[in-house]
Amino acid sequence: MSYFRFIWKSNSGFTFFSMVFIALFQVMILYLVTTFDTQAMLKSVLEQMPPRLKIFLDDAFFSTLTFDGAAAFGFNHPIVLALLAIVAITIPVKHISREIESGTMELMLSQPFSRKSLVWKLWLSACVILGMIILVASLSSILAVQIFHQLHVDVLIKIIYISLNIFLLFILVMTYTLFAAVSTKGGGFSGSLSAMITLILYLLFFVGKLWDPMEVTLHFNIFNYYQPQNIMLGNGSIFRDTGILTGLTIILLVLSWHRFDRRDIP
Amino acid sequence: MNGKKVIQADQLTKFYGQSRGIDNISFDVEQGEIFGFLGPNGAGKTTTIRILLDLLRPSSGEVRIFDRDVRMNSFGIRQRCGYLPGKFSAYHNLTGNQFLKLVSKIKNIPYQNNAELFRRLELSESDLNKKTKELSHGMLQKIGIIQAMMHQPGLLILDEPTTGLDPLMKEVFYELLLEEQQKGTTIFFSSHNLSEVEKLCTRVAIIRQGKVVGLETTEELKRKAGQMMEFQLDRNHGELEIPGAEATLHRDQLYLFRLTGDIAPVLKRLAELPVKSMSLEKPGLEDIFMNYYKDQKAK
Repeated sequence: MSYFRFIWKSNSGFTFFSMVFIALFQVMILYLVTTFDTQAMLKSVLEQMPPRLKIFLDDAFFSTLTFDGAAAFGFNHPIVLALLAIVAITIPVKHISREIESGTMELMLSQPFSRKSLVWKLWLSACVILGMIILVASLSSILAVQIFHQLHVDVLIKIIYISLNIFLLFILVMTYTLFAAVSTKGGGFSGSLSAMITLILYLLFFVGKLWDPMEVTLHFNIFNYYQPQNIMLGNGSIFRDTGILTGLTIILLVLSWHRFDRRDIP
Repeated sequence: MNGKKVIQADQLTKFYGQSRGIDNISFDVEQGEIFGFLGPNGAGKTTTIRILLDLLRPSSGEVRIFDRDVRMNSFGIRQRCGYLPGKFSAYHNLTGNQFLKLVSKIKNIPYQNNAELFRRLELSESDLNKKTKELSHGMLQKIGIIQAMMHQPGLLILDEPTTGLDPLMKEVFYELLLEEQQKGTTIFFSSHNLSEVEKLCTRVAIIRQGKVVGLETTEELKRKAGQMMEFQLDRNHGELEIPGAEATLHRDQLYLFRLTGDIAPVLKRLAELPVKSMSLEKPGLEDIFMNYYKDQKAK
């Protein structure tokens, strides 16, 4: 059994659940859009909202409830984001913090297994797991578009961009959790810390969108660089978003290597 | 043993913030030696071992294993080491077989080589196919022993290795260690069980409150500690003084002395007393250990 297989075996249950849930969720959203006149229904709700909230929701959700827009909305639903965040946070916490606490990390690092190699293999395994979930979500979206509507090349390309965007966002979440895990003592603290950071950033993203004085914070918020609706509407900045998310991930990964290589175990 | 040093620990000190883990520890371990590392819980044994394995970085001092700096050559050294931690823990979601396969893969050795160890340690296929969380402490410890010995390491570092093993299995384990020693394996054996150290080790370091307070061959330790003499007189003669012996117990007619020097003046003094019975015993390491601690306390 290789280390990759071990990581997969330890996380396969929740990974399968996430894959199935997100895939069905994507199909369900697209099915609802074809079955009901959701746009008209939601527009009437939107009319009741305060102007600032109306603009935001219109941008973020309702104006995209065209069929193609719904495919993007499926990638931006809080449930989907929460599931992916759980996977991204759980893997480093389980395989670094919990192992330091239980003593298995001590045993692993007494083997001919370098610390850098462990961090690298764990990071890569987590990327593969997140990639698989997002791949299934993308395929189910593409399939649902094809079944309930009609799949065009430009929609296909946009779904691929969105998938890449969400993949990079959650790789970043996983990498800062990894950094927290290698920097703190064993136990669940790194998981709580990372979940708290993710939640605060997510809330700040909405506050920044809704409240002018906080708009400046959007530049420092990772969720600002994840824009499925804009990509679907053709307004996305895919190169900027990819660059920033990838750059931050690389910096945090290098810092994690550095920190883990120098720390005491336990 | 050929005098070649496998472990060279030089003035190791480790602080955890303000508190001291170990303080200025130095010792050498020769090739083919079973080296005992004795001390009570919290004395600094595990801290020292973790520094040997580059899991902890010393605040000062240096360790060389196989004549290479541990910090600089950690990976290569660990290829030649087997380690059994004091609190051995395996992945709960894996079976014994899966766990050992994972370790084999990391060590880059064929898994099939372990059949003899399974047989000697009485681990059946059904035991190995159980999840490690379902195994008893003793069974889990056997898995730990196998993962440490499976690749025929040049150095075995064992931290309280017999915890959880039944007396018969302990004997099997001692045999395995002596066989490894015959093959030239160096064994660093940390324990607070003095009788097993006495049984196996050629030299012993005694550690207390982070400092090595004694470093001797097992025989030298025993010799230094002298012999225990017990005699019974016809009645209680009160406190007695015997040259070359130190009173350790007096109850009614019964007297217990530790011989620290030549026995001739002791026998001469005893001849003057109405001795009804007398016996001489070599002290166990327990007694030696207690004496070391007593001496240190007195200092």
